Amino acid sequence: MDSLSVIVNGISMGAIYGLIALGLTLIFGIMKIINFAHGALLMLSMMCSYWTWKYTGINPYLLIIMIAPVMFVIGYSTERFFIKPVLDAQKDVREPIAVLLLTAAFAIVLENLSLMLFGADYVMAKTTVTDATIAFGGVTLSAARFYALIIALVISGGFYLFLQYTELGRKLRSCGQDRNTASLMGIDVPKTFAIAFGIGTALLAVAAITLLPFYYVHPTVGNVFMTKAFIVVVLGGLGSVPGALLGGIIIGLIESIGAQYMTATLTTVIVYAIFLLILFIKPSGLFGSRLEW
Amino acid sequence: MIKIRSTKVIGLLLVMVMLLSLVAGCGGGDSKTTTVEEIKIGNIIPLSGSAAPLGKIGQEARDMAVEEINAAGGIKSMGGAQIKMLYADSKGDPATGVSEAERLITLEEVALLTGTYQSGVAMPSTEVAERYGIPFVVPVPSEDAITERGFKNVFRLAEKTSWRNRDQVTFIKEMAEKFNTPVKTVALIYENTAWGQGAVRAWEKYIPEAGLEIVLKEPYPSNSSDLTPVVLKAKNLNPDIIMMVSYVSDAALLTNTFAEHKVMPKAYIGTSGGFADPAYFELTGDNCEYYFDIATWEPDVNRPFSADVNKAFKEKYGYSMNAEAVKAYTAMYVIADALERAGSTDPEALRKALSETNITEGPSQMYASEVVFDETGQMVNAPLVISQMRKVDGKMERVSVWPEEEARPGMEIVWPYPGVGK
Repeated sequence: MDSLSVIVNGISMGAIYGLIALGLTLIFGIMKIINFAHGALLMLSMMCSYWTWKYTGINPYLLIIMIAPVMFVIGYSTERFFIKPVLDAQKDVREPIAVLLLTAAFAIVLENLSLMLFGADYVMAKTTVTDATIAFGGVTLSAARFYALIIALVISGGFYLFLQYTELGRKLRSCGQDRNTASLMGIDVPKTFAIAFGIGTALLAVAAITLLPFYYVHPTVGNVFMTKAFIVVVLGGLGSVPGALLGGIIIGLIESIGAQYMTATLTTVIVYAIFLLILFIKPSGLFGSRLEW
Repeated sequence: MIKIRSTKVIGLLLVMVMLLSLVAGCGGGDSKTTTVEEIKIGNIIPLSGSAAPLGKIGQEARDMAVEEINAAGGIKSMGGAQIKMLYADSKGDPATGVSEAERLITLEEVALLTGTYQSGVAMPSTEVAERYGIPFVVPVPSEDAITERGFKNVFRLAEKTSWRNRDQVTFIKEMAEKFNTPVKTVALIYENTAWGQGAVRAWEKYIPEAGLEIVLKEPYPSNSSDLTPVVLKAKNLNPDIIMMVSYVSDAALLTNTFAEHKVMPKAYIGTSGGFADPAYFELTGDNCEYYFDIATWEPDVNRPFSADVNKAFKEKYGYSMNAEAVKAYTAMYVIADALERAGSTDPEALRKALSETNITEGPSQMYASEVVFDETGQMVNAPLVISQMRKVDGKMERVSVWPEEEARPGMEIVWPYPGVGK
C-alpha cells in the first residue's frame, strides 16, 4: 500500500483545514462570536482571487499580498458597521444571540450576492501550478498542496509569534481574556475587536489562495469547508492557534487514512463522531483553556 | 358586516366559476363528435425552479416540432387539424405535477398528456392520467419503475436508467475483445445519494454477468473537500476499469486527482450527469482527455436527420440541442403519428394507436432507427451512445465512438487509456 502518499496527503489537506479554522478560532477566542459567515467569507476571498487571477494572470501566490489586505478591510468594516452596533445593543444581555444570527444572515447575503454577480457556474483557476506534481521518495503530491502545506505552517507559526510577542498581539489576547479589564487598562476594545475580525478575514484570504490552484470556485464552496472548520476549532480548542493547525491535521489524517479501510462516506461519519466525542469528554478541546468553560 | 358581504361575493364567484366550467365542459364534449380543428396536448414541464433552463429547452424543442407538423398540414386523417400545445409549470414539484395533470385533463380537456422532466414528477402525474384513461407520453424521465407499474396509458420514449449501466458493460466487453486487452476488474466510484446507489444496483447485476469482478465499491459525499483518499485507494487496487457516477464538481475533482496521481486503468467511464456538464471541460482542462461517457444523443452522432434538425434548432434558438431536447422533439412526431393513425382524439383509440406505434422513418430517426413500445409502454430499443472526450483542433470535445455505426466518421477510439497528454 502506498501508505506514505496517504499520510502526506492527509497532512497537507489537514494543514489547509487548519489555516481556514485559524480565522474562526481567532474571532471566537477574542470576541466570543461564532462567525457563521466564515464559509461565505472564504468563498468571497476565492471569488476575488479567481477574478483577479483571471484578468491579470499573475502567479496565484502573489495574490496574497493583494487579496489579504482587501479582505482585512472588508472584515474590519464588517465588524465596525454591522457587528459592533449589534454587540453594543446587546451589551447587557447574558447570551447575546443576535450577533450569531447576524453572521448567519450575512452568509446568506454574500452567497446570493455572488450567485447574482458571478452566476452558478463552477469555475477553476487553471494556473501554472495546477497540474504540476512533486515526487520525492515514491510519494506523489501536487505542487499546489505542497505549497499550501508550507504556507499554512509558516502563517500559523508567524501568527502564533505575532500573538505572543507583539504589542498588538498582547492587546488582542487581553481583550480575549477579559474585555472589561482590558478596557480599564486603557485598551481600545472596539478597535481591537475590529482588528481581530479584519485579521481573521485576511487569514481566510490566505487559505482561499492556497485552495485556488486545485479547487473549484462556486457560490456554495464555503459550505464544504465551513463545517470542517467548526470541527477543527472544537477539536483543537476554541481560541488556540496551535490547536487549529493540529486539529486540522488530525481531521485530514482521519479522512485520508480512514478512507483506505472504509468508504469515504463512513470517514465523514467518523469525523463527526469524533466531534461529538470531544464535546462530550473534553469540551475545551486539545489546547483550549479549561478556565474558559 | 363587510366580512359577511365578502364571503357572499366569494360564494357567488365560486358558483359562477363552476357554472362556467360546466358550460366549457359541454363545449369540449361537442367538439369531439364533430370534425376537430385543433388538438389540445397538455405538457407538464418545469418552467420555474432549479430545472427551469432544462424545461425551457424542452419547450423550445416541442414548439419547433409542432410548428413543423402543423406547417406540413397538421393531422391529415382529421382534416388537417392543428396541434395546440398547452404548457403547465410543474416547478419540478411532484404535487404541482399532479394538480396540473388533473387540471389539464378535467378543465382543458386535452387529448393527451406529455412531458415531465424529473422522474419524481413523472411517477405521480402519470398515475393521474392512468386514472382518467388519458394517454401520457413520457419522453425524458428514466426511473425504471415508471413503466413497471402495469399502467396501460403510459408510453415512455426514454431508456430505463439501468440500461445505461447495461450498455456501459456491453461496451467494455466489446472493447476488450476488439483491442485484445483482457479486462477483469472494475472499480465503482459514485456519489452516495439515490442516483449513485441506483446505478450501483444495476452494475452489480450486469458486471458479474459479463464475467467481470467488482474490486471496489466506493460511495462518497458529493460535497467532499478532498477526494484524494478515494483516488489513492483506487490506485492501490489498480483496477482495469474505473466507473463513476458524479455531479460536476466532484467529477472534476476526481478527474484532476486521478491525473495528479497518474492512475492508469484501461478506461475511465462516466455516467452522464457531471461528465456531460459543459462546465466539466472548464474545470478539468486536458485531464479529462480519453474519458468515456454515456448519453442518448450527441450533436455529432451519425444518425439520419440529426445534423439537420440540430442545425435548424441552433438557427432558431441560438444554441445546440441536448439529449432531452431531442427526446422531447421526437416525442411530438411519435404523438402526431399516433393521432394520424387513430383519426380521432378518443382516448381509447389514441391509446391503441400509440401501443401499435412502429416508426422506422422520419425525423424520429435522429433519436432511434425504430420506435416501438412493448406491452408495458416502454420504448423497446432506446438507443445509447458512448462518447470519448477528445481534443479536436486544440479544443476538448465529446466525440461519439460507440456503437460503431453511429460513431463520428474518421475518429478512432483510443483504448486502453494512454495517460494525460499522450
